[in-house]
Amino acid sequence: MTCQRCSREASVHLSETVDGQRRDLHLCGPCARKAGLTPPDPPPNAALEAIVDHLIVQHVGELVGELARTACPLCGLKFMDFRTGGRLGCPNDYEAFAPGLLPLLRAAHGASRHVGKIPRKRTPPSRSPRLRLRARLREAIAQEDYELAATIRDQLRQEDADR
Amino acid sequence: MNLDALTRTSGEWLRGTGPESDIVICSRIRLARNLADFPFTNRASDTEKTEIERICRATMDKAGLELDYQSVVNLDALDRQLLVERQLISRELSTGDGPRGVAIGPRENVSVMVNEEDHLRIQVMNSGFSLADVWEQINTLDDQIEEHLHYAFNPQLGYLTACPTNVGTGIRVGVMLHLPALANTKQIEKVFRALHKLNLAVRGLYGEGTQADGDFYQISNQQTLGKSERELIRNLSEVVPQIINYERQARQEWIGQRRQHLHDQVSRAYGVLKTAHTISSSETMHLLSSVRMGVNLGLIDDLEIRTVNELFIHTQPAHLQKIQGEPLEVDERNIARAGYIRRRLASDNQAAEERE
Repeated sequence: MTCQRCSREASVHLSETVDGQRRDLHLCGPCARKAGLTPPDPPPNAALEAIVDHLIVQHVGELVGELARTACPLCGLKFMDFRTGGRLGCPNDYEAFAPGLLPLLRAAHGASRHVGKIPRKRTPPSRSPRLRLRARLREAIAQEDYELAATIRDQLRQEDADR
Repeated sequence: MNLDALTRTSGEWLRGTGPESDIVICSRIRLARNLADFPFTNRASDTEKTEIERICRATMDKAGLELDYQSVVNLDALDRQLLVERQLISRELSTGDGPRGVAIGPRENVSVMVNEEDHLRIQVMNSGFSLADVWEQINTLDDQIEEHLHYAFNPQLGYLTACPTNVGTGIRVGVMLHLPALANTKQIEKVFRALHKLNLAVRGLYGEGTQADGDFYQISNQQTLGKSERELIRNLSEVVPQIINYERQARQEWIGQRRQHLHDQVSRAYGVLKTAHTISSSETMHLLSSVRMGVNLGLIDDLEIRTVNELFIHTQPAHLQKIQGEPLEVDERNIARAGYIRRRLASDNQAAEERE
């Protein structure tokens, strides 16, 4: 794809949605820099992620930059990963990413409040102790703390039996 | 569950009965549900998926549901494809990874996918235009399942789903329509534009991104949050009769103005299907579409609509290979398909003759 401002090969691709209209921007390195779309002095061999984060902060604002790095404490998914993959990681993400998700929900559904069926049994997922325990279990396994992992597993089994 | 038997039967939704069944093939509702205590499928480990599968299966047993569970992991590619063609599982479940499966009702009008994009995807499908009945059935099924497990639910956002496009009610209400006359006169484009404005999605026979082969179109809601299940069903129930009317008008205009041409097209399509010795899948869909309309308009009188409906599904690649009992290359499939169609049409014609 060629740069929209000159005839060189485009290397910076951005798309944004304003009022439901998608706009795509394809620029070569020099034109992107002229438009202020790259960090002034990109550190040599900088991780791509850092550059992307920098670009987001510079052009979409600090809130989104922070939000992009926000991770769900229970499943570990980052808001940025959700924006790229389109799937959330666990029920708690709706709470963890609320500031970023609510505008998306309003855009997609024209609403941000549920109307309709309600289950008779209710467990607010953010307070779901088992999801918490599962998160701790995964963390313990990742850190190779098998003793802790075994304790948590027993606890989960015990709760299962108690049900 | 004996999957080979599926090729000798067909789902109840194909029987071609129920309200408006000349145009509405079936009505379908699915609910997306997740367990509160687990990460969503895409982020769950295989151990967690095993646990989710165990809990869901135990739940369906405890609820006394007459469903037959089939693990997808144990199926070969052909059987998976068979279930996709049958509309019992999604492509995503077929090609996904890790422990997952589907529980299927005896008449194939209920299927519950486990560890698809969401932990549970409950689906009920009936022949004809019958969304209210389908909702009654699926709502009860959902209650029965919920009695034995904790769904991920939040008072503000409703049922929580892996993709925010499903959050809230988690409902997808859809009807599958056969619209050959609107497609022929290109008026279908106008219908699409109107549907998009109403926030309704249009897909082909095999779901998202597939070509609307055979003039089949699935129309469904996109909004899931901020409206109740009943409102969403009502919205679709109000739109569908209008599309049915447009299709009927287009058929009547066609038959009124160019009766001989239409009769010729239908008869040629029927003739080719009755006599061809090799035929591709897309030509089959195209010709069956004309024949189906011909039966509904009374231009063909020795063929059951159910047979035509079944042929759309039974001539798909996996069905043909199962019927034939061996893997077939494209060329071999085209030959087998033509043979199968000839046999089915001949036996239907004979039955019609005996009735006379």
